[in-house]
Amino acid sequence: MAVILSKKPLSAAEKDLSRVRKGRDLSFFDLVSIDQVTPDDLGLLYDVARRFRDYKTYKFSFNKGSSQVNAFFEPSTRTSSSFDLAAKQLSMDTAGVSSNSSVEKGESYLDTVQTIDSYNVKTIVIRSKESGVPAVAARYTQAAIVNAGDGWHEHPTQALLDGLTMLDHCKSKDMKGRVVVIVGDIMHSRVFGSLVRLLKMLKAEVRISAPLTLIPEDVEKFGVKWYGKVEEALAGADIVYALRVQSERGANGFIPTLREYSKMFGISRKRLDLAKKDAILMHPGPVIRDIDVHSALAAVDEQSYILRQVENGMAVRKALLWLIVDRMDGKKKTFTRK
Amino acid sequence: MSTLLIAGGHVIDPKNGVDGVADVFVRDGKIAAVGRNLKEKADKKIDAKGLTVTPGLIDLHVHFREPGREDKETFETASKAALAGGITAAVAMPNTNPIADNQTVVEFILKRSRDLDLINIYPTGAITKGQEGAMLSEINELKNSGAVAITDDGHDVQKEGVLKRAMEYARTCGVLLMSHCETKDLTEDGVMHEGWISTQLGLPGSPALSEDMAVYKNILLAEKTGARLHLMHNSTAGSMRAIREAKKRGAKNITAEVSVQHFALTDKECMGYNTLAKMYPPLRSQEHIDAIIAGIKDGTVDAFTTDHAPHIEPEKLKAFQDAAFGTVGLETSFAVMNTYLVKPKHISLKQGIEKMTSSPARIIGINKGHLSKGADADIAIFDTEKEWVVDEKKFLSKGKNSAFIGKKLRGKAVYTIVGGVVKYDNGTIIA
Repeated sequence: MAVILSKKPLSAAEKDLSRVRKGRDLSFFDLVSIDQVTPDDLGLLYDVARRFRDYKTYKFSFNKGSSQVNAFFEPSTRTSSSFDLAAKQLSMDTAGVSSNSSVEKGESYLDTVQTIDSYNVKTIVIRSKESGVPAVAARYTQAAIVNAGDGWHEHPTQALLDGLTMLDHCKSKDMKGRVVVIVGDIMHSRVFGSLVRLLKMLKAEVRISAPLTLIPEDVEKFGVKWYGKVEEALAGADIVYALRVQSERGANGFIPTLREYSKMFGISRKRLDLAKKDAILMHPGPVIRDIDVHSALAAVDEQSYILRQVENGMAVRKALLWLIVDRMDGKKKTFTRK
Repeated sequence: MSTLLIAGGHVIDPKNGVDGVADVFVRDGKIAAVGRNLKEKADKKIDAKGLTVTPGLIDLHVHFREPGREDKETFETASKAALAGGITAAVAMPNTNPIADNQTVVEFILKRSRDLDLINIYPTGAITKGQEGAMLSEINELKNSGAVAITDDGHDVQKEGVLKRAMEYARTCGVLLMSHCETKDLTEDGVMHEGWISTQLGLPGSPALSEDMAVYKNILLAEKTGARLHLMHNSTAGSMRAIREAKKRGAKNITAEVSVQHFALTDKECMGYNTLAKMYPPLRSQEHIDAIIAGIKDGTVDAFTTDHAPHIEPEKLKAFQDAAFGTVGLETSFAVMNTYLVKPKHISLKQGIEKMTSSPARIIGINKGHLSKGADADIAIFDTEKEWVVDEKKFLSKGKNSAFIGKKLRGKAVYTIVGGVVKYDNGTIIA
């Protein structure tokens, strides 16, 4: 028997967003890696995200009737709350799955994800300790999989919000001729994994600085240059991007002490002054004050864009969830069961 | 008295320098004659025209999983898989449950092999008790009960002092020591080859250096102690260099094998988090493959093996980091060798067969792997041109975890004969 669904007329805000969208769709169904994102996708995401940002917490009805499960198999504060609020501000129903659930009882993550998928949810947001879990899960679900960070691999929505923050700062469509310096635990960072891919797409000059113990093999093939002296990397930088030294990922032992790391690579006022006058400081959070970033710079300094990143995160995730769930072209992803 | 005539095939018997069309006549399980147009009357005749007749293949590196993990594989299923691959003799690794660190397990393996009467299974014993790398097993007892070698495969002896004593003791007992070369402190949690691919996938890498350093260590200790050392599943350019140098220095006590996947596939197979391509040693990058092939060509490599490592599906349906290591190989090793070495003309078919027959037989000191008059009639007959796509559903092995699934290979066993008895005939096991 056919079900009867009626659609409410669009509000003025929704009509505005639809005008910005111009009937466009993303080229991908799941987002597991920045490698999937085309320049057109990026343009669409940012057009929509900027407009969503203007409407702050306004509740849009675009995704009404659709559900989302936030499956965070690893603890998270900002990413999980940001995805949850973004979905709710699009009128989605959400549920959360945390790390201490069936996966710990011995169920395979694939079975867990396929179980969630059977709720007929539209999106499953996955954070995993191991690399590749969202990418593999995406092959076996009807729901769109959004990678909220997998192991040391990628954290694509973080890179998307960082890209928006950088482009807005530079008032440009790309980062050509701009210097981005990434400092910190490159090896264990999924933020780096996505950011470096996005920055190459945006044509930025990317410099990385950290002890070699925190630099992965063949990293230069991403088109980045390593600097052992952070001061040399910072000279003439437009963006200074500090990464946390992630002790819970086994990074301990890669540096003698946090004290020495902070002395050699921590972003202080003096070091930030080596960058361009209008350079901005970014950090994906959580900031370990006085280790990655000098405390005085962390949130209050006018050059620090760390809280602006968080705000952009809301807008970018809202844009992504709308575009993924509410497709104009009616196309559906293909998947198999395992 | 039973007789068998294999007529008109292209016989390749590297040990005896045979490489041409000939008949093979078998009487009472032994080779009676090899020659053109043999007139002997036989109870059974195989028309081998257009096919290649070789000694049965000998695989020095197989995980039969029995005793202990019969859900993954048994002597029976692995033996049938071996027959389907033209393999008539295989060396069993000792990392079973219980571990083959005592004669009881070795005798059990030999008894199972005799009872099954499918292929020849040669047990190995563990170097150290529980493969823990600390206390030596009763190596002489292992040898006397039938172990052809000792090895801590899958673990490796990390401590140089223990390894040195193991080699001295092995030499005293006159037993071969086979080393799985891995420096655990460098491998750490590595799950694939460390390089550009692991960096893109965000997976912990296992550096080539981990193997290189262990190979150097093993070679130096073998040169010092004079022990018979066989280096297993070499996969790096550094290993090739170290072994080549040692052989050049005149180290006659050192031999080396390569598992066929390590000259065929690169670490790119891991893209998309393909756990079927997860194994130890890991699939390496192209530069290592090039070095391995150079080592095969110049004689640095003595033998080809499978490192057949069957697993149940759930162990591979995990996150890449948590999935089991290993690929099956018994049913594909000849085809992989033929496809990736012979067809691209890196080596001749005769050279490839030599590294899968007489050369491995020499390494473990058994009188097999050749078709001399009076030798055991262990024979494989291949269609070297047959093209086929690897389909795990057709495997006789319980392990469906092949890194070659979906790949097109050339060459397949048509008949496999053990002790003069046809055990495999065009896809069917005759038990």
